[in-house]
Amino acid sequence: MYNELILLADDDPELLEMLCVIFRRGGYGRILMAASGEEVLQIWKEQAPDLIVLDVMMPGMDGFAVLKEIRKESRVPVLMLTARGEGEDRIAGLELGADDYLGKPFLPRELLLRVRAILQRTCPGKGGRVELAASTVDLEKAQVQKNGQQIPLTARELQLFEKLYENAGRIVTTGILCETVCGEFWQGYESTLSTHIRHLREKIEENPSRPISLITAKGLGYRLILKGAER
Amino acid sequence: MKPVRRFFRRYIVSVTGSVILFLTVNVLLILGVFTAGYGYDRYAAFSIRAFSAHIVREGDAWIGDEEALTMLQETDAWAMVLDEGGQVVWEQELPEELPRWYSAADVASFSRWYLEDYPVKVWAREDGFLAVVGFPPETWVKYYFSVDRDYFFLVLLGGCLIFLANIGLLIFLTLRNARRVEKAMSPILQGIQDLAAGRPRPLKERGELAEISHGLNQAGEYLAKKDNTRAEWIRGVSHDIRTPLSMVLGYASELEENSALPPDARKQAVVIRRQGERLKGLVESLNLTTKLEYALQPVCREQVDGAELGRKAVSELLNQGLPERYVFEFSQEPPGKAVWLEGDPALLRRMIDNLLINSVVHNPEGCHIGIKVKAENSQCIFEVWDDGKGIDAAFLARLNGGRQDVAPKGGLGKPEHGLGLKIVRQIVQAHGGRLIFEEMTPHGLKVRIALFQHGKK
Repeated sequence: MYNELILLADDDPELLEMLCVIFRRGGYGRILMAASGEEVLQIWKEQAPDLIVLDVMMPGMDGFAVLKEIRKESRVPVLMLTARGEGEDRIAGLELGADDYLGKPFLPRELLLRVRAILQRTCPGKGGRVELAASTVDLEKAQVQKNGQQIPLTARELQLFEKLYENAGRIVTTGILCETVCGEFWQGYESTLSTHIRHLREKIEENPSRPISLITAKGLGYRLILKGAER
Repeated sequence: MKPVRRFFRRYIVSVTGSVILFLTVNVLLILGVFTAGYGYDRYAAFSIRAFSAHIVREGDAWIGDEEALTMLQETDAWAMVLDEGGQVVWEQELPEELPRWYSAADVASFSRWYLEDYPVKVWAREDGFLAVVGFPPETWVKYYFSVDRDYFFLVLLGGCLIFLANIGLLIFLTLRNARRVEKAMSPILQGIQDLAAGRPRPLKERGELAEISHGLNQAGEYLAKKDNTRAEWIRGVSHDIRTPLSMVLGYASELEENSALPPDARKQAVVIRRQGERLKGLVESLNLTTKLEYALQPVCREQVDGAELGRKAVSELLNQGLPERYVFEFSQEPPGKAVWLEGDPALLRRMIDNLLINSVVHNPEGCHIGIKVKAENSQCIFEVWDDGKGIDAAFLARLNGGRQDVAPKGGLGKPEHGLGLKIVRQIVQAHGGRLIFEEMTPHGLKVRIALFQHGKK
């Protein structure tokens, strides 16, 4: 289902095997495995995976050291997976350049969702087409196809749509959407967000005043409903 | 510190009172002894003036009446009357060995001292004669005191000043000793209070009470060591349990989604996964509550939008796909504006999550759950409410008194591990805020949290 090459690294063979099962069932057919830090570096250099799931506590080179080494040369997405759930470790990992950090014990679904979100964020060209009830959005071309017409999306509208698509079916708060469109200091941009949402609805909805794909969650934010998905 | 000061103030008042009581009792006792002794001193009580009135001159003869004789008999005394030349003109029981004529020097001597060992009393009558009464030897003591007038007043003044100086010195020493004891005891008493509050601080081990300070320091170290051991143990266990629990959750989820398995087996996998998730929540809560209790969790201070926190918490719950019997509501004042506060975003989010989940867990039949975030008097107010079954008044009182954070057994729906509200309270305390539980009308529970917008006051 997915074509990305995933490298899973953990010193516990049983956990590594389970990760492999989770990823296979999650639709990832191309999986590599490493049991130590040194092995991760070797495979990364030889096979250039699209994403690395990296355990922190490994004998020899630990996950932080491996990440430091990788970040000297590459921006390959890395999700740190660790039994050390302490806040400082989390911050240390993110500061070293990890794309996400998940503490054990984790739910397989959460792991897969986070991996998918990282891949969508870091490989925007691979998003393809998104089917909605009244239209189709081509993320690569940044345009909407509705009733045989090609309607272009502005850069802000595309950012907004991608954020909603990353979390399809889930409520995305106004704060997160504003931050996506306006950056870190988004306070006061709520009305700007409403304008962008209205424009987006005009482009993707059959009837923008009665939206069925871009739904308002009252007081909270917005939710994107894909074609065929339950509301 | 107040009880300590109060104690020493009372101590000083008590010592001052004791000194005043001591002086008063002594003065009264001395007066009592004098008064009582005077009654028993029949010689001192003998009035020579009264006796002299009972001796009269009739022509050339002197006559002492019955009363005079009785007075002499009662005291075994003798008497005589001398004329201006020192000649005895009347006598009664006058011992033979005593002369019947006295010179002026003799009179001057015996009127102050003794007449041949006989203590005497002398009275100068109006008619110019001298009445003399003598008592048996060694019956009473005569002491003649004579001193320079200026010297006398100086001594009197000096005596008064010495007395006052003594009183002053006594008060000064009492106050100084009390102050010294207070100075030595205050850190120890404070140390005991700190120890009781679970915040042992090292005391300086010096002075006469160094041993007590040393003992308290040891007790503090012992408690801290015990707390650390417990926290480390919980940390270690929760760390060691993480990987096995990941495997349980991972494989249970796999089995749950494996369509090749019979439906019953998949249902069992769902149960394993759910119980695994509960275990995961318990481990995380246990770890967090321990860290907050022993201040191992650093509370970072940054500007947080309380409204956005509330939106994220409600959205996350809705995204998890809760059953439709739960209806969520979010509101804020002023609408659409940020409600800033200074705090730890992760902990504050956990606080709201715990309250929302609490409403869900304790109302399995469903209910309306709401969160309102508002700015009020420089405070950020979070109100999390539900219209569920609520809680009884007694438990509500215990919650507000901070005496209990766990619902009574069987009292409120599905039993939880009970750390949820405890963690909420710890987070509110770590931010210096206030937590109030209120009843909703007609039923339900409202939890109101007030946090300062500009950090801990």
